[in-house]
Amino acid sequence: MSARMRHFTPINYTKNSALKLITLVFLIILYLPIINLIVFSFNDSKRNIVWRGFTSKYYEKLFENEMLFVAFSNSITIAIISTIISTFLGLTTAIALWKFNFYLKKYYDIALLFPIIIPEICMGISMLVFFSYISWPNFQLWPLSLSSIIIAHVSFIFPFVAIIIRARLSMLNSEILEAGQDLGANRYQVVRKIIVPFVNPALVASFLLAFTLSLDDFVVTFFTSGPNSVTLPVKIYSMVRFGVSPEINAISTLLILIIIICTYFAIKFLSKSNRELMK
Amino acid sequence: MSYGQKVDIIDIDYSWGLANYVRAIDGVYLVTLFKSVVISIITTALCLLIAIPVAFYISFSSTKIKSILLVSILLPLWTNLLIRTYSLIAILRTKGHVNNTLESLWESANHVLNFFRLASYNFIGESFIPLSLMHNNFSVILGLCYIYVPFVIIPIYLVLEKIDRNMLEAAYDLGANHKIVFFKIIIPNISVGITSGIILVFIPCLGSFIIPELLGGADSQMIGNIIERQFKSANDWPFGSALSFILIYITIIILGVRYVYSKLYSRLYPGNIS
Amino acid sequence: MPLNSLAKNHNELNFYNWDDYIGENTLSDFANSEGVKTNIDFFADNDELFSKLREGNPGYDIIVPSDIYVEKMVKAGMLERINQDKILNMGNIDEKFLNPVFDPNRDYSIPYMWGTIGIGYDKKRVHTDPDSWSHMYDSKVYSGNISLLSEATDVIACALKYLGYSANTKNAKEYKEAEELLIAQKKHIKVFAEDNGQDLLASGDVILAQEYNGDIAQVMLEDDNISYIVPKEGSIIWEDCLCIPKDAPHRDNAHKFINFILRADIGAELADYIQYATPNRAARELMDDNYKSNPAIFPPDETVRLCENMLYQGEEVSRMIQDTWTRVLAS
Repeated sequence: MSARMRHFTPINYTKNSALKLITLVFLIILYLPIINLIVFSFNDSKRNIVWRGFTSKYYEKLFENEMLFVAFSNSITIAIISTIISTFLGLTTAIALWKFNFYLKKYYDIALLFPIIIPEICMGISMLVFFSYISWPNFQLWPLSLSSIIIAHVSFIFPFVAIIIRARLSMLNSEILEAGQDLGANRYQVVRKIIVPFVNPALVASFLLAFTLSLDDFVVTFFTSGPNSVTLPVKIYSMVRFGVSPEINAISTLLILIIIICTYFAIKFLSKSNRELMK
Repeated sequence: MSYGQKVDIIDIDYSWGLANYVRAIDGVYLVTLFKSVVISIITTALCLLIAIPVAFYISFSSTKIKSILLVSILLPLWTNLLIRTYSLIAILRTKGHVNNTLESLWESANHVLNFFRLASYNFIGESFIPLSLMHNNFSVILGLCYIYVPFVIIPIYLVLEKIDRNMLEAAYDLGANHKIVFFKIIIPNISVGITSGIILVFIPCLGSFIIPELLGGADSQMIGNIIERQFKSANDWPFGSALSFILIYITIIILGVRYVYSKLYSRLYPGNIS
Repeated sequence: MPLNSLAKNHNELNFYNWDDYIGENTLSDFANSEGVKTNIDFFADNDELFSKLREGNPGYDIIVPSDIYVEKMVKAGMLERINQDKILNMGNIDEKFLNPVFDPNRDYSIPYMWGTIGIGYDKKRVHTDPDSWSHMYDSKVYSGNISLLSEATDVIACALKYLGYSANTKNAKEYKEAEELLIAQKKHIKVFAEDNGQDLLASGDVILAQEYNGDIAQVMLEDDNISYIVPKEGSIIWEDCLCIPKDAPHRDNAHKFINFILRADIGAELADYIQYATPNRAARELMDDNYKSNPAIFPPDETVRLCENMLYQGEEVSRMIQDTWTRVLAS
């Protein structure tokens, strides 16, 4: 829709050189540490302080390090499951808060912010106490052993999703919904055909955000993990005592590479399907 | 738990006393709290200052560039926070990349001056003095901004995306300049996004402890560090909870003020959609 | 947790350790010799370990707390008594370590590695060897180039040592003095480093770094300009121990593991990999001179005599230390 509109409106802020410059400088600064990280994954030293020559041995070591891969796959599994659940919960919460006026709504609104306001460590400890209070069993079986972490993640991530989606929903004219209902759509159709397409960009953004929050979380994970559920951040933070090894740089580099490749294909695929739609 | 009292190593007496809150209203904690609020406000303001133009640029780009830009803003977040912070340290420290670059610039400048036999005048100082970019409050704010800017860009971008381009066009046709369009049309229209952005940055900043610990100096203790210590080395969970709740109350008060303000604002300017 | 027993598997051991704090092949050797598979999980500091186990053991069999935390955990009833009849290799331990103050008779803990806190320094940039805490705590010579640890107990204990008091004092006046010393010195201190003083030293950010000996020893391997010294006033001596937490699901395997670690050859392998001082006399004898005579690993005996183990002084003193520390940081 926006593509068609731009055709009629010559406003194009991207031509503004100040804006261009700010964005460019911002991106460069954003990526300096990442570039540093990639370069130092090839450094021939156990510590990332001084450059001691090129090596790819940390990549070789990485593939032998079973522990890191277990941690990595645990992190990814947790992130995927908790992202899906929290996106769904966040979406429904946002719709409820936007559409309906119910008893105590204002307070629910504030309560939703709690997981964001509470300092992480307090959140983590509360989770620890909570799980031990209800005697949550310690499953040894693989995906179940991650269950407590997933529950904890969902509970602090879905408010983030809800906030982002709500910001977007606030721009949707609720009369459209009534129009839809007048035209015979039932509730689910309204959600699927009107609300979801409208919040789609926010949905994608919050999905990505939720994924990163879950993937990167240390504090809450630490206090809810058991003996069989090491995640990558837990592993990384425990390295502080002896120095973070370049293997971590190597695995981060690989992760970045994978994402870039995925994104490339996703964009290609999307623009292709867009073109087909245009025809 | 914050109303309980710690009685032994691991026992907590849930006595509904206010002792922990009384203890928290001590000069030390208030000063630190005030400092954390100030640092968080500066960080949030800087984040907004960076995020608005960037979000602007993104939302007016073509579909393809838009998705590339969006992904590149989120991409760094997929690297572990600790790893990114360590990289930031590598860049900022006394012999880090920034200072090394400046030093080599200084040296080449000196060579040029030497060439013109001007070095003896010491125009640019006798020797290179590295900037101290690390272990002070500056580095804490920089680090916090670095980590949190993407969290502001996303919500602002999402609402900017929805602004009717025709409205802007109409404003320009009616003779408005950039400034007027920005302050009278764009800002009121993206205020929801800005609020979400502020919430997503200010609050985590207030409770952050990893960044001040790694990037800060001897003077950079924030309330998050004190809270963390209560839960860890001090092993005083009730007091830690009390401090956390004080943080929560403050945040709610701030949000409440904003809510009242926006109510007043919409009463004064009923025409605005915000 | 009661439901733990549901998920019991007899050939496993859940080992909760610091990262990179076990030999590269130790766990696979253990699996080969005893037929027990080890799952390993990591923590970054004693406080994390303590908080994690405080509300009940989530299923670990072996943990590695340091001395003062062993004492705290014993007092809080968080540890299982070790059955020494099952530890046949007990005799390999140096007798100096058999009756520590924090755990008399070694009822609950087995020594794993030990070391000291001291000063790591940049040989090229110091004027004289920093053989006294005064260079760090009471001098402006290295202003802006000093890093102290960020752990309240360690920093304050070393300050107390410098002032000539016991690191384990209960006297509020002595803490007050230490507080004043630290507040006065604070403007010369660059950072209270979260266990990364060795990196700051290696990158040239500081000249003097208060650190654990092992961390400095690691950068000394790569950088000849860095050295380590335990100040003449004495310092803190620390010891990491193997312990079995309460309700450990695989207690038998835990005993087997402790016995295995105490074997001379395994102990030597560990010491070789970790480069910390081993309390295992038999293992130490198997090591080469490079290890045995490294002053960063084994400080001279007369220095060790001046050092103290940190002891748990009760909640009141802990709170006094924490409050002192908060005031120092906020000043």
